[in-house]
Parts: sequence; structure tokens; C-alpha cells
Amino acid sequence: MSAMTEVSYSDGAAPSEPLRAPRATNPWVAFVRRRIISVVVILLLLATVTFSLVRLIPGDPGVIIGGTASTRAEQMAIDHRLGVDRPFLTQYWTYWSNLLHGDLGRSFVTNDPVTTILKQNAGASLQVAGLALLLVLAVSIPGGIALGALTRDRRHRHVENWFTGIASVVGAMPELLVATLLAYAFALQLKVFPVGGTGGINFLVLPVLAISLRPIAILLRLVRVETLSALATDYVRTARSKRLPARTLYLRHVLPNVVTAALTIGGLLFADLIAGTVIVETIFARRGLGTTLVNAVLSRDYPVIQGMVLVLGVAVVFANAIVDFLLASLDPRQVSR
Amino acid sequence: MIKSFFRNANGIAGSIGVLLIAAVSIFAPSIWGKKAHTINVVNGDKGPSGAHWLGTDRLGHDIFYQLLVSTRLTMEMALGATGIAILVGIPLGAGAALLPERVRMIALRALDTLIAFPGLLIAIVFAAVLDPGKFSAVLGVGIGLSFSFARVASSLTLAIRDREFISAARVVGVGRTRLMVRHVLPNIADSLAIATTVSIAAAIVTMAGLSFLGLGVQLPSVDWGRMLTTGVQSFYLTPFAALGPGIAIALAALVFGFFGEGLARAANPVLWPGSGGDDDSATATADGPPTVDDPYEPVEDGVLDVRDLTVSFPSGRKRRQQVVRGVSLDLAPGETLGIVGESGSGKSLTALAIAQLVAHPGVVEGRITVNGTELQRVPLKEVDRTLGTSLAVVFQDPMSSLNPAVKIRNQLIEGVRRHRGLSRAEAVLAARRRLGEVNLPTPERQLERYPHELSGGQRQRVLIAMGLMNEPNVLIADEPTTALDVTVQAQIMDLLAGINAEHNTAVVLISHNLGLISQNCDRVLVMYAGRVVEEVAADRLTEAEHPYTRALLGAVPDMAHSREQPLVSIPGQMPDARSTPVGCAYHPRCPLAVPRCAEQRPPLQLNAVGHRVACWVANSDEAPAGAATVGTATSGDGA
Repeated sequence: MSAMTEVSYSDGAAPSEPLRAPRATNPWVAFVRRRIISVVVILLLLATVTFSLVRLIPGDPGVIIGGTASTRAEQMAIDHRLGVDRPFLTQYWTYWSNLLHGDLGRSFVTNDPVTTILKQNAGASLQVAGLALLLVLAVSIPGGIALGALTRDRRHRHVENWFTGIASVVGAMPELLVATLLAYAFALQLKVFPVGGTGGINFLVLPVLAISLRPIAILLRLVRVETLSALATDYVRTARSKRLPARTLYLRHVLPNVVTAALTIGGLLFADLIAGTVIVETIFARRGLGTTLVNAVLSRDYPVIQGMVLVLGVAVVFANAIVDFLLASLDPRQVSR
Repeated sequence: MIKSFFRNANGIAGSIGVLLIAAVSIFAPSIWGKKAHTINVVNGDKGPSGAHWLGTDRLGHDIFYQLLVSTRLTMEMALGATGIAILVGIPLGAGAALLPERVRMIALRALDTLIAFPGLLIAIVFAAVLDPGKFSAVLGVGIGLSFSFARVASSLTLAIRDREFISAARVVGVGRTRLMVRHVLPNIADSLAIATTVSIAAAIVTMAGLSFLGLGVQLPSVDWGRMLTTGVQSFYLTPFAALGPGIAIALAALVFGFFGEGLARAANPVLWPGSGGDDDSATATADGPPTVDDPYEPVEDGVLDVRDLTVSFPSGRKRRQQVVRGVSLDLAPGETLGIVGESGSGKSLTALAIAQLVAHPGVVEGRITVNGTELQRVPLKEVDRTLGTSLAVVFQDPMSSLNPAVKIRNQLIEGVRRHRGLSRAEAVLAARRRLGEVNLPTPERQLERYPHELSGGQRQRVLIAMGLMNEPNVLIADEPTTALDVTVQAQIMDLLAGINAEHNTAVVLISHNLGLISQNCDRVLVMYAGRVVEEVAADRLTEAEHPYTRALLGAVPDMAHSREQPLVSIPGQMPDARSTPVGCAYHPRCPLAVPRCAEQRPPLQLNAVGHRVACWVANSDEAPAGAATVGTATSGDGA
């Protein structure tokens, strides 16, 4: 996991130790170009997968979606709306042309444009996932560094033992359980927060907590361990030998190397948060992309399914791209990779 | 490996839990199947009671027994998904790693992105395409998990791909599939075992989520996730109907997580400190309080004066083990002092102790005076200022001693900014000058670089320049050339000599290489098992009296040395701090040892020619004939 490992380097330079030739192009330009290419490729793949969703349904989609009670005419109408009655390449072409025009089709159930449904629901989900992400980062990074500083060189062993114990239990608790426990304690017993629904800030507390606790436990542990290993590095010893104040030592020499490690799994945590949002929306009966997706799958509303999968997928891809850029700006060695 | 697995608590808890889950999965349906499926609508939606420990659901099913009975289906699905993940993931990852370079890069990047896709989302897609049910759930969750297996398999394969036996197999012409099955897989098996348990835990959770959403197991089949759905629907009436399965899911995930962690610890005990092996046997011979047997006259106006320095670490309960034992040394302005000794002699720790860099739980005792300031007597702020401005350390490994994430410029200027209060511009100007002094071309360019853009020799120059930033009186160089090429070594030593001459900076050079020390120092301290055993002027090294020093000298090749004659090697090993023998620590290896050497430790005594040596034989008048003693030995108190 550590990005700190170095390739052993033999300094076979001539006595004059010539400098390495300056690169012809700025490494950042090459880096950005590479990443943009890979994002574009992945987006193309994603759109193709979403397109294939309907085509992969075994058998005749009209029969399966319409059900056995439907008439042949109804089934053919479904096939026509899905476009599966046209030649494959035509379908693919139409799909792309619609996509680029911002047209994701209409819901089978409500006949609303999918884009409208997206707009209505994206905000609520984004609110939960975004707040959770902020909470996770705001707690785990400073908290993990503080814990690392506290337990460095095997100090405060009891703190370490309690922390690892609690963190490994919380880190193993699925959002499902956290959500039910929170609902039981704060909504049913203490009656501090509402059990479910969409509304003001009060309605957000439990869902956000429910999806944040596990990532917080995981990230806290990781940041603590990374802090410990950063504190044990030769370069921190070098910094210590300069007798810098603790603030400089931690902010300049420990933090960047810790954040690098935290960000590396940050992309995975974001995926966790998205999946968590889907679950938590159902538990707390909130409106959002998750509940929309689940209902669409249950009612076989394919245009909506396609739209949701596309949007959630794009969110994951962009989150990862952002993490990549942040990583590169913090750890210059990433740029040349 | 098996032993250390059962020595850690997680491993034990994990394996007991796994066995329990297995037993319940196998036996519960036949034992409690009837109880779980009994419908009793009148008794529906009741809270916990003596008859129904977790209460009942709407149809009056007993939730506790239902939980036990549905363990089998839950586990079958989790194992099934993990099986698919392994079958799909490992060939995918290992195969990707064996691809030609270009294609491999693309494949691995794609894999990275796929891992970032939530497994639940992938499973939902499968449920949408196929009919939601057991089959689509197992397949979807399995595919979702397969990417992380592929990642593990690819990085492990990459790591061992270039090892010799793989290349050998390739040269012999073993095919790709065969290569993977016969040579690669066995080598990555234990890591994959760990990944498998972790993946089972993830499968349980994801599968439960899917069933909870109504996209997994369909009624009348019931797994834990499905039970949770029913429970949440009647959450107001009977919260335990939801909490029960929720806790079961979390517990099962925890059990498999623990099991995996236990496996990981057993496979790689080094990465997991504190997993057993902490019970230091208390057989150590603890040293008494440091004995002051070192009659030492400090040099007037010395820049560094160290008295009775001891460094100790805890060993076992309430015991401390001394690793550096009563070292005293001093340094005049502009002097170069060499400290030589084998690894484990305490020479590097002496340097760290002087620079106040010994980490907890190590304890440093003794008196250290830097540039007239006695560090133990002044407040911490003053210690920081004194050490920050008067003393600099150049460490052994230039590759790891610079922070990879910080520009050279900032690493160079932070010290002077702090201690001399220079403005940023002034500090950068000073940094540029120092880089010039250490012969780095185009200093302005180097300042804007990151450490990874420099070679090892260049980095060591940067570290030396960094040490010079505050114009220190003392520069401690701890094996400054060990990690470097031979040609670069000579340049770095020349550089240190130049700095010593130009700035009158006193240098402490620490090395295991007596040849290097004798060529570059005025005075030599020889350390053995944490003590100074001899101190001698470098140009009179041939007159050294301690048998250990003489043995070291015999191990230095020179031009006059005949190639037919083997180099002398010292038989035996340096004792480690725990088992230092009584008497002279060197006596078990010493060819000249007399009975007294095994009983009493020889003090460091001044002899007639001004050397100091700790040896009964060298310091006695009855030196055996033919002994390697040179000069007249005196038994004076040297005061």
C-alpha cells in the first residue's frame, strides 16, 4: 500500500555525475494526457456496457418486461421503445446520438424523461454522499495523525489496544447494521432524530452517520499506521535532526505522505459511500438515485436503470480521476508513472 | 506459520467463529428446520420472549431459529460468489501481469478503475439483466469481487515475475498457462488465502445488501439480508427482528475478517508487531549503573564533549539493556574524529544519542555538551536552538533520508528559517550557495527539484549541503558513503575533507571501514560491544595495542598485501547487547586472552604514547612474548 517504497538505485554515474537530461516535455503534460485518455476510454466502455444492458436480457425483452399476460402488440411496442427491434449498429448509433444530445429516454412507468428523474433525485443522494465524504476525511485524517502521534514508538499502549479493538469491530459493521442500530438508538429509543424520510438537516444526520462510520474506522486505522511508518522513516529523522517545531514536522513532513496513502484508498471509499447511499436510502425511506435505481430494477424500468447506472458510474470514474490528480500533486513521483 | 497463526488472538477467535458458522450451516436446517418454518399468524410481530428469543415476524416465524437455519443459504451464496471471484479474477490478474509491457499498463489501469466500482452496483446491474434471484446475486457479487482478486494476483505475479526461477522456466520454454499453474500460483498461494477470507466477508455483506434491497434472494427462500428486509418493515413494533440478522451479518463478516488477519499475521509476522514473540526472556545480564572508569580530560574550548554516555532499551519486564555503555569523547574545533566498529558496536547509536534522536523507549544518560551548552541542563527550546545551529547529521542512506514529497529547496531552507530567522529570499540565496559548495551544478535548478529526480550521489551532496546550512561547528557523518558507488564514495569523502578545511567544521565520521577512517581522520575511536576499547591518533594506527584493533587492521587490504595471502578475518561474532560476556567483551574472540579477561572488565587507560586502550594484556607489564603489543604498556591511572 505504501507508495514510499523506493527502487534500489545504483549510482553508476561517471565521476562528474552528469545531471539527467531535462525532459523534452513537461511531465505534467504527459501525465494529464495519459489520464484523460484513460478516462475517455473508460467512459466509452461504461456507456457501451449501459447500452448492452437491454441487449443482454436473455430472450425477448418485450416478453420478459411485459410479462406473459401482455399481448404480442404490447410486447412489440416495448421492443420498439427499447429499440431492440432495429439492427444492432443502428441501435448503437441512435444510443450515442441520443446520449450526446442529453436524451436518456423516458421511464416505462411514469413516462417522465430519465433526465428529469435524475435531476429530481441526484441532489438528495449527492447531499448524503458528499456530506459523508467530508465527514470521513475531516475525522480520519487529523484523527489518525493525532492517534499516530500519541501511540508513536509504542507509547500509550492501552490507547492503541482500545482503538484497534473498536476500530476493527466498527470497520466490520455493514451500513445495514449501523443504520438499524442508529435508527434503534436515536430514532426509536431517544427519539432525537426522525426514523426516515426526506426533509431538513435532521433527516440527514442518521443516513450520513450510517454510511460514514465504517469508512471512518477503516481510514482512521490506515492513517494511524501510515503516520507511524512516516514517523519511522529516515526522512523524518533527517527533519528531526534539524530541530524543527512539531507543527512543521507534522504538517510538512508527515501529512503529505499520510494523505497520499489515505487518498489511494479514498477512491475505494467513495465507491463504498455510493453503495452505502443506495442501502441507506432504502432503510431510511429517502428519495434518491439509490431508491430510484432499486425501484427501477424491481419494475424492470430499463431506461431508468440505464440512466442511473450511467450516472453512478460516471461519478465513480470522475472521483477516481480527481483522486489521481490530487495524488500526483502531493507526491511528485506519481507524475512520472 | 501454523504455530504463529494460533498464537494471535484474532487467529484463534477467527478460527473458532469459522468452525461455528460451518457447524451451524451444516446442521441447523435438519435440526431446527421445522421450528423455523412453523407459521403462527396469531403470534406474529411479537418482541423477544422465553419461547422466541428474538421474537417473531409478521407470519409468526421464530426469528432466532430462522436466523440459524438461513445461515446455510447465506454462506452458500457467499462462498459461491467468492468461488466465482477466484475463478474469474485470478486468471484475469495473473494473465494481465504476464502480458507484454504496453498492453499490461492499459490492462492494469482498467483493472484499477473496475475495482473502484461498488460491488453492489455491479450486482444490481446483474439483477437487472437476469431475473433478480440467487443466481444473478451470486454471479453479480462474484464478478464484482473478482476485480480485487485480479489486482492481488497481478501485483503478486508482477513481484515474482522477474525472479530467477520464472525467467529460468521461460528460457526452458515453459508455456504461459503452465508457467502460471506450476510456477506462479504456488508462490502467491498464501496471499490469495488471505484475500479469500477477506472476500468471503465482503461477499456476506454485499449479498445481504442485495437481498435487503429485494434484488437478491426471493421469498420463500430466506437469507440474512432478506430477513433484515422483513425486520426493517416492522421496525417500530419489533426492532429485534431487524437487529438480529443485522448483528449476524456483522459478526460473520468480523469472524472472516479476523480469520484473514490471523492468516496475514502468520504469513508475515514482521509486518504485524505485537503478535506474540514479545515475551523477552529475562535472561539478560543487566548492567549496573554506569561506572565511571574513564579518566577523561576535556579539551579546552571543545565543540563537543560527551561524558559517560549510555543508551539503554527495555528488555523484558522492568529491565533495561545498555547498548551504549559509558562512552566519552571530545572534539576540538576543526578536528576530525573517526568512530569505527562492527555493526552492533553502538557507534551509530552513539551518534543518534548525541543528536538527541534516540526514539522512545530508548533512554539516553550521560552528559552531552555542544558548543559550551550542556544539553541536559537547559530548557528544551535551548536544546533545539543549540542542536539546530551547532550540530548537523548526515545519515547513511541518501535515498531514504530526503522527504520524497518536499522540494529540495524547502528541505534546505527550513532549518535556517527556523533557527536563524532568515527571510525566505535570504534562505534560498544561502541554499544556492551551499549547493554550489558541494559541487552540484546549476544550483538554482536543483532547488526546484524533488529528491527522486536526483541520483544517490547528488542526494548525499544535498544532505551535506543541508547540514551546512546553519554553519554548524560539528558535522556527524554516519556511514555517509556506504550506500554509494565506489567512485562517488571518494568524491563525498573529498567533499567532507574540503568542508572541514574551509569552514573549520569538526567532523565525526562513523564507519565500519577502518581504512576509510584512517585516511580521513585525525583521531580514531574503536568501539566494541557498546564501549570504546581504544583511542589512537590516525597516523599512529599501526601502533594500536588492542587485539581487536589489530584484528581490524589485519582485515584492511593494502597495496603491499600479497594476493596469495588471505585477508585476516576475525573469528566469532560480536556479542549482542543481551549476552555480553563478563569481563572484557572481546575475550571469547581474543587470541591473547588471559584468565583475568574473563573476570574483570579492563578500564580505558592512557599509555605512554598517549593512546588510550582497554585491555589487560596491552596494559600489563607481563605481556606475553610475541603479542601484538607495540609501545610500552603502563598501568598508570592516566589521570
